[in-house]
Amino acid sequence: MSTPVSARKPYQPKLGRSWWLKHNYYRLYMLREATVLPLLFFLGCLLYGLYCLTQGAAHWQSFQLFMQQGWVIALNLLAFAASLFHAKTFFALFPRVMPLAPAWLMISGQWLATLLVAAGLLLLFGGWL
Amino acid sequence: MSEYQLLLQRYDPEHDNEPRQQRFTVQGEHTTSVLDALLYVQQQLDPTLGLRWSCRMAICGSCGIMVNGIPKLGCKTFLRDYHAEILIEPLAHFAVEKDLIVDMTQFLAHLSAVKPYLINDYSGTQPHKQTPAQLAKYQQFSNCINCGLCYSACPQFGLNPEFLGPAAITLAQRYNLDSRDNGKAARMPQLNAKNGAWGCTFVGFCSDVCPKQLDPAAAVNQAKVESAKDFIISMFKP
Amino acid sequence: MQILQTDIIVVGGGGAGLRAAIAAAEAAPQLNICLLSKVYPMRSHTVAAEGGAAAVTLNSDSAAAHFQDTVSGADWLADQPVVEFFVKHAYQELVQLEHWGCPWSRLQDGSVAVRRFGGMKTERTWFAADKTGFHILHTLFQTSLKYPAIKRLDEYFVLDLLRVGEQVVGVLALALNSGELIQIQAKSVILATGGAGRVFHYNTNGGIVTGDGMALAYRHSVALRDMEFVQYHPTGLPGSGILITEACRGEGAVLLNNQGYRYLQDYGLGPETPLGQPENKQMELGPRDKLSQAFWHEQQAGRCGDYNGHAVVYLDLRHLSRTHLQQRLPFICELATAYVDIDPAQAAIPIRPAVHYTMGGIATDINCQTTLPGLYAVGECASVGLHGANRLGSNSLSELLVFGRVAGEQAAHYASQCPAADSKALSVQSEMSQRWLNRRFGTNATDSVAKLRRDMTLTMEQGCGIYRTGEGLAHCQQQLQALQQRYQQLKVTDHSKVFNSELLQYLELGFGLDVAQAICTAAMARTESRGAHQRLDSGMTQRNDAQFLCHSLAHYQANALPQLSWQAVQISSLPPAQRSYGTTDGAADSGAGNTKGAKA
Repeated sequence: MSTPVSARKPYQPKLGRSWWLKHNYYRLYMLREATVLPLLFFLGCLLYGLYCLTQGAAHWQSFQLFMQQGWVIALNLLAFAASLFHAKTFFALFPRVMPLAPAWLMISGQWLATLLVAAGLLLLFGGWL
Repeated sequence: MSEYQLLLQRYDPEHDNEPRQQRFTVQGEHTTSVLDALLYVQQQLDPTLGLRWSCRMAICGSCGIMVNGIPKLGCKTFLRDYHAEILIEPLAHFAVEKDLIVDMTQFLAHLSAVKPYLINDYSGTQPHKQTPAQLAKYQQFSNCINCGLCYSACPQFGLNPEFLGPAAITLAQRYNLDSRDNGKAARMPQLNAKNGAWGCTFVGFCSDVCPKQLDPAAAVNQAKVESAKDFIISMFKP
Repeated sequence: MQILQTDIIVVGGGGAGLRAAIAAAEAAPQLNICLLSKVYPMRSHTVAAEGGAAAVTLNSDSAAAHFQDTVSGADWLADQPVVEFFVKHAYQELVQLEHWGCPWSRLQDGSVAVRRFGGMKTERTWFAADKTGFHILHTLFQTSLKYPAIKRLDEYFVLDLLRVGEQVVGVLALALNSGELIQIQAKSVILATGGAGRVFHYNTNGGIVTGDGMALAYRHSVALRDMEFVQYHPTGLPGSGILITEACRGEGAVLLNNQGYRYLQDYGLGPETPLGQPENKQMELGPRDKLSQAFWHEQQAGRCGDYNGHAVVYLDLRHLSRTHLQQRLPFICELATAYVDIDPAQAAIPIRPAVHYTMGGIATDINCQTTLPGLYAVGECASVGLHGANRLGSNSLSELLVFGRVAGEQAAHYASQCPAADSKALSVQSEMSQRWLNRRFGTNATDSVAKLRRDMTLTMEQGCGIYRTGEGLAHCQQQLQALQQRYQQLKVTDHSKVFNSELLQYLELGFGLDVAQAICTAAMARTESRGAHQRLDSGMTQRNDAQFLCHSLAHYQANALPQLSWQAVQISSLPPAQRSYGTTDGAADSGAGNTKGAKA
């Protein structure tokens, strides 16, 4: 006996390029992923500064002038905000992936550690130590 | 009693080339679920409406649908939480067979792929000992009802249906964390593979939509940690 | 028409079907097993069982005690050799499930915990929080994936059994996703299709529990046994009937009427136990039939509350701590919040009885074999003789495992020996079925599948409810006959093939009507009151062992009322006695004490 032609015709929806615009959740996710862009700029600044440091005083001064421009400050402030946002999402996720202690304890612990490290670095490089 | 407009996505494979929308008017009171409303449509207005359902109490996992674009169980979503017009579509990212019925074949294949059963050499005639603390390590992940909502929330599955996806990886993790199981080595190849845990980019929406609050995103990312450990250990093995 | 050949067909992917398939695969690995279900296995209604599975576990417990509880719970209508076999094998089956990974709840030392349950003398109910059925089903489903011999046909609906002479040699099934018929040939067939609670209007059952398998066997002259015994679960949510597990009462919940009074003490279940100290077989831990009947009396006396037009009483858990509730009854907290908007830690849950379980079913022997060679039945669709006139909570999950295994092994044994049947005649039967199916389509003037089904469920609710009268039953039977006639005229208006819900519901309704008639006819013939079957007619309100200590057998008659015959109950060691609950015996009495100190 023959097998009849099936009446099935499943419709496969396609996910377009703009899929991430569909939900707030996806937009927030893309924002989290996009925090890498201002951070890249910050990293570029850091590398440029290091390079200038090796090239002598004149170069270092031009780097300092570059860093004082309004748009550079604005971009670095953006990078700072982005890193804080990313840290917030990352710190919230961490206890779910590594459930070692109650979530609230792990989250506040991570912020405390960040604060301590940042303060230490400030004291060290700010010349107070 | 309040009146609601249901905007239903319809698809009849024998007549349509792509889905279309149809509007129905239903009455709802405080306890009317979206499933109740859909069954009213099917029983009173249009018997051709296709949908899956059974238990009405959020445990059989049949009635997953998109309600205003968010994956939901129809039986555990209530009209009272919506305004007058509600958009209802079949679960996203799956192929649509008819109306609100999607093809779950791939989903089932992913579940089977992770060897979701205890693997050990135990041959006693008495139960294993397992303390409540050991049980608590995997209990949450054993509560998956296989409704598929997390796959509709996962854009990675939408982009690549070969991705094992949240429920399957959660299931693997459920057995990997079970103190009675020795089968992790047999499951890791699936999790390590391109379409395994690393296919996840931690969008995290799966955990948001999970009707049983399993946190599949956590399971998937725990699997990544395991996979990384597995990789590092394998480097030191001859 | 597509033809598929296999060795064993299991119809139904719930607990019993999965256990049978695994048992068959282990017993005879060379055989091919086809596990066919109208839904994906994990959607099967086993999933909704909450409370637990019974087996003798504690040192202080004994097989004899479980046996006595089950037989007296059944109001002596259980076949005692079957009960003996059951209580003897339940423990090892629960351990087997533990070995397969079921996340049973545990004590601090890592051993399996047991809880109290209605009608049980002692704690012997294994549980996985309050989702025991869910965990059993998923454990079995996931374990079944280990066996390459088990091939699944998900979302296939069986229309008919295939027969050569008296021998069952396969099934004819409808692939729901394509609308095509498929002929599946096999050497043995196991029916594990679940109960028929959906023939009633208010029930705790899922939409799929429509009695299909019962009707399949019934139409092929296998008798349906003890169909008059339909269990009302005392605690369903008003309106929806959603199940609120008996485990609540095992954990200490109490039942209150609208005056806040624990009314069960007025119905031979007292005296009142202190709050938070439940006693086995007393008050709220009485059996389900007694509790549902007590509700009916409270309703008659006007002592029920009202919830959206439904008469209710109240299940009070407020004296249990929130932590305890979250740990032991998390699903109940979730259900109460979602469906009646109540936090059980703060307010009592409105509940009322709802149809829960069909004690009767396809008559089988202790080996799950029916009167047709090659046909087996197991689980709620079957009547193996375990539950008699009233099932004790947590016996049925164990039944799925104990007898699921028996059915699988027996069917495998039969299939290994049985020669392949001559399949020529099968094409004729299949082609006839195809033509019959084609004639179902058309248009209706006013009637519809949904209307007819609603009329059936309301008729059953009215005529075959918690209490029955001769008059009500006669009316119900007339109505059912009229509905059968309407069904003959009814057409399926949706002509499509892919997932035709109307066609599926039409076929289920046909099965349901046959089962409903069997229930009503058996209830009419049993002019006594026993277990879940209670008559109000004068002279019928008591148990009548002289005449009715026997099983009813309903035999199908095409286009006519079922014929009824009687079958003796097998009594091996516990002679009939008065069933009694409350303090006069029971909890404190570990001997064969159910026979003394009886109360009305």
